[in-house]
Amino acid sequence: MRPELKEYNLDWLFASTFSVAKNLGNSSPGEMEYVFNYIPYVRPLLKPLLETGKPALTFLDLFGDYYTNIVNAKENGKKVVMTTFCFDPCIFYAVDNLLPVTLEIGTALTSLAWKRGTTDFMDYCTEIGFSETGCSSQRGAMGAYLAGLGAQIDLVALNMGGVCDTNANAYNFAAQYLDVPYYGLDYPSELTSDEAREYHHQDYRKLVHFIEEHTNCKFDIDQLREVLEEKRKQDDLMNEIEDMQRLVPNPVPGIYHIMIYAARYIYSGQKKFTKMLEEMVEIVAKNAKNGLSGLRNGVEKNRTFLVYIDNYSYGIALYEWFEKKGISHIGNILSRTFAETAPYTTGIPGTAYRIDTTNFDTMIDTLADINARMPMTRTIRGSYDAPNMWLDDTLSLAKIYGADCCIYLGTPGCRNTWSNIKLLARDLEALGYPTFIAYGDSFDSRVETWDTSEMRFEEFYNIRGLL
Amino acid sequence: MNTVFIKAATSLENSSIQKWKENGGKIVGYTCSFMPVELLSAADILPIRLRGINAHSMEISDSYYGPFVCSFPKAVIQLAGTGKYNFLDGVIISNGCDTLRRMNDCWRKMGEDIKGSLPSWLYYFDVPHKPDGHAFDWYVNQVKKLIATIEKQFDVRITEEKLNKAIKAQNDVRKMIWEIEKLRSETPLRITGTEAYSAIIAGTIMPVDEYKKHLNEFIIKIRKRKKDLAIDKKKIFLGGSICDDFELVSLIEKSNAVVVGENICFGIRNEKDMVCETEDPIKALATKYLSASVCPRMMGWYKERAAMIIERVRKINADGVIIQNIRFCDLHGSENGLLERDFEKNSIPSLRIEREYGPLTETGRLKMRVDAFIEQLKSTNK
Amino acid sequence: MSIVAGFDVGSLSTKSVIIKNNKLVGSAIIKSGPKPVESANKVLQKLLDETGIAQTDIKSAVGTGYGREKIAFIEYAISEISCHAKGAQWFIPSARTIIDIGGQDCKVIKLDNEGNIKKFITNDKCASGTGRFLDVMAKVMNIDVSELGKLSQKSTKPISFASICTVWAQADVIKHINSRRPAEDICAGINVAMANRVAMLTNAIKVENDICMTGGVAKNQGVVKALSSILGCRIKKVKKADPQLIGAIGAALFAQEKL
Repeated sequence: MRPELKEYNLDWLFASTFSVAKNLGNSSPGEMEYVFNYIPYVRPLLKPLLETGKPALTFLDLFGDYYTNIVNAKENGKKVVMTTFCFDPCIFYAVDNLLPVTLEIGTALTSLAWKRGTTDFMDYCTEIGFSETGCSSQRGAMGAYLAGLGAQIDLVALNMGGVCDTNANAYNFAAQYLDVPYYGLDYPSELTSDEAREYHHQDYRKLVHFIEEHTNCKFDIDQLREVLEEKRKQDDLMNEIEDMQRLVPNPVPGIYHIMIYAARYIYSGQKKFTKMLEEMVEIVAKNAKNGLSGLRNGVEKNRTFLVYIDNYSYGIALYEWFEKKGISHIGNILSRTFAETAPYTTGIPGTAYRIDTTNFDTMIDTLADINARMPMTRTIRGSYDAPNMWLDDTLSLAKIYGADCCIYLGTPGCRNTWSNIKLLARDLEALGYPTFIAYGDSFDSRVETWDTSEMRFEEFYNIRGLL
Repeated sequence: MNTVFIKAATSLENSSIQKWKENGGKIVGYTCSFMPVELLSAADILPIRLRGINAHSMEISDSYYGPFVCSFPKAVIQLAGTGKYNFLDGVIISNGCDTLRRMNDCWRKMGEDIKGSLPSWLYYFDVPHKPDGHAFDWYVNQVKKLIATIEKQFDVRITEEKLNKAIKAQNDVRKMIWEIEKLRSETPLRITGTEAYSAIIAGTIMPVDEYKKHLNEFIIKIRKRKKDLAIDKKKIFLGGSICDDFELVSLIEKSNAVVVGENICFGIRNEKDMVCETEDPIKALATKYLSASVCPRMMGWYKERAAMIIERVRKINADGVIIQNIRFCDLHGSENGLLERDFEKNSIPSLRIEREYGPLTETGRLKMRVDAFIEQLKSTNK
Repeated sequence: MSIVAGFDVGSLSTKSVIIKNNKLVGSAIIKSGPKPVESANKVLQKLLDETGIAQTDIKSAVGTGYGREKIAFIEYAISEISCHAKGAQWFIPSARTIIDIGGQDCKVIKLDNEGNIKKFITNDKCASGTGRFLDVMAKVMNIDVSELGKLSQKSTKPISFASICTVWAQADVIKHINSRRPAEDICAGINVAMANRVAMLTNAIKVENDICMTGGVAKNQGVVKALSSILGCRIKKVKKADPQLIGAIGAALFAQEKL
């Protein structure tokens, strides 16, 4: 690794950047432009973000807090647990002396806001023995933490066993490399059977024991209840936004998607996330009332559903391109929660979760159910064409939100989806959804630069007459 | 060189399979070492481990599988697409890894396009990624479900007695394989890695009684040998991704080496690697098969696996270890990275290589690396 | 008086040298044909013609490279890794890390203080990080691969582009050419992309001084400089011979030892 990268810890960079950036809310446009001259690589992320107004400031604020807490964890007597984005962190926030750090968010942010992205850290992972073909979403931030360029990690806990080998394997590697305790939840291919539910509940209880054992802390039931009730509020707010997204034109600004899911993965159950959602609902409701599109130029030409993830290189270039073209982003696999109150859950027993804060047992069961329905954990655990799996979910969501076409964006490391995307795309096409498979890497522009990706998107939209 | 084993190990439709079919027997393929073969034997069904050998191109497979995935399940699909698996009466797919489990999806889709390529029965066997507690109970339940399904599908009864009989027969095989492993750790060394490995692989595609007979003859023959096959050769231990093609072992042995042991999902690890015959047969099978000792898919058990491998390497006095992974295998790919580090800590020379599964198309490249490794071992006079 | 020969049959080029009493007296490099035996025969003939030495004068010959075992007139076949290590040390006895970038692969070799190979690592993925990557890019730019290094010296702003897959990198280069970006910046970008791939391999083995480079790509100053900068270490050059010949020289040295 280049010596200059060892000057600052990665999480410290985020802590300071976001904590300072939130103050830009007090600046005039001229002052902001002046500042942007000095941060040419953060500007492509910051400028469109700040255009959203209050939600952006809360977003920056909560991210600033999140990373500041991680940076100061040891000093404040807290332990840090390394976890994955599709693991709801509520459980960690119910323990006084524990803080989660989510790798994929770190990788995405670095790709979005740094000149070379996380390529140096990704390469570092390969240098220390990790497979180069592993998913890039973990490898970025993981490289930083394994190189000691981040907070000290005390334990690793996540939930990708059975759903995503490369993800679970990355965390397993990290745990072995750092020689810290590891617990992985395991998921069978079924979602809705009683046996699966029972399995999830038992597995989660073992996780709870693991956390207690390694933090010497007993779960504070009131704190857990508070966190879950806060999550319930957040679910309701997200459901409102999701509901309004069904309108034509779609009143939800595309950038809200990444803001919501990024904040959700790190701050589920925390008050600042609720605040951001409230601010967003206010704006979206206003748009909806006035029949306005969430797009900046106000003209919606196309509604695109992303069947997997977004692209996180060159400062949300994907969102900016959508804005330019008048394409309404109607979400991706990361956007949904599957709370039973959501507009897209069908009422088929077992597919959604219910928050029950009656007692400790019901709360643990709730958390187990929430985790079993997090992105990826729900959708790509079983055969793509099984009920409530990828094809089913995609078709339902595409229909509910009025998609004109579908895009698959991922990483070459995604063994799971690359093993069945051709099947999915074939079925989607047959059912009337033009579907585009992108071959780039959402976190690593060395695979396919955004320029080339953009060229290919143009081609797809033009040839299929989608704009 | 035992031609029966070589023939069985190198061709999909060997004579044992043909004879079985001619006698009206049923054959069911399975993907992974986590599937108890005794369940099928107890139903008088021939279990055969799905192979990818002799898949010379991937154009059928590429229509279903995307790029960036392991070539082993692709090879299996390719063979199935060209009708090579049409003799199967069923297939049990387990979630060895993501790419392997998606064979379920790809095969069924291919079955829609290529008539006859999908066996009449396809079953998904859901193996947990942990060996204990609720995961163990889940696995036991999966075994029971599978038994019930086999009974229904093939109109048979798998009684406890039949299961015990099947376990005993397979344990006899395991004991004989252990005899072979013991021979591989002796001096003088009277058996090559190619011979041993092809014998082990042959067992996954041959009826158990026939296999036992051949193994017995094989062991007697080896014991009569006098010549030390390890003179001037370096002893190599091989580990990593699935390898059902003994040509890899042969390639290593062509470089002035002899392969004295493997940690690949074939064969057995040690003499305790048996199914307990005094316990409830289903629980006993679960205990043996759902083990964390073989495969990196059992996450969180690296330390135990590494310790076991290092112990084996030391016991057989290997001069060095070659750890390989199929390109895009993240499980073995990364575990090999950790193993390399730990081998170094334990002063065990190792070579880490990546390869493509398939008819050994990269022999030149692989041979150069193996040659260099053997030369390295010779120059440091280990 | 010992006269020995060394042959290195590579995928892109076949090299051969003659060493007489521990001195390099002749060398030849030709483009490899599809059959290694024919390439070996051809390069041998060229070498004999140039040096005036008769084949019968050669007391011992060693071959290396992918076609090594097929060559009839050699006594031993030894891996390129051992040969490159041997050859490099002849010129730079203090070498402890050798980076060899050939036409088809990339190897990093680490030596102990006695000059024995301690560890080696090779590029197992594909063309990027090998000479093939540079060949493909040079072709797209319509220049000879030997010019990639020279041209890039003028660059002040190397372009960064897709570097993991050679085929996709091509698309990027074409795009930059069409956008009329300066040729020197494109060349520099190509060299940096190459160096980054090699650096990843090199860092995995933890380099030790002195570091030297062998193989054809060592002649590309752009790659050498970029790699040196990324690694933060000085890379010593083999000055007294073409770095592309190191493998063949090592083979000849082994032949000399066997006598």
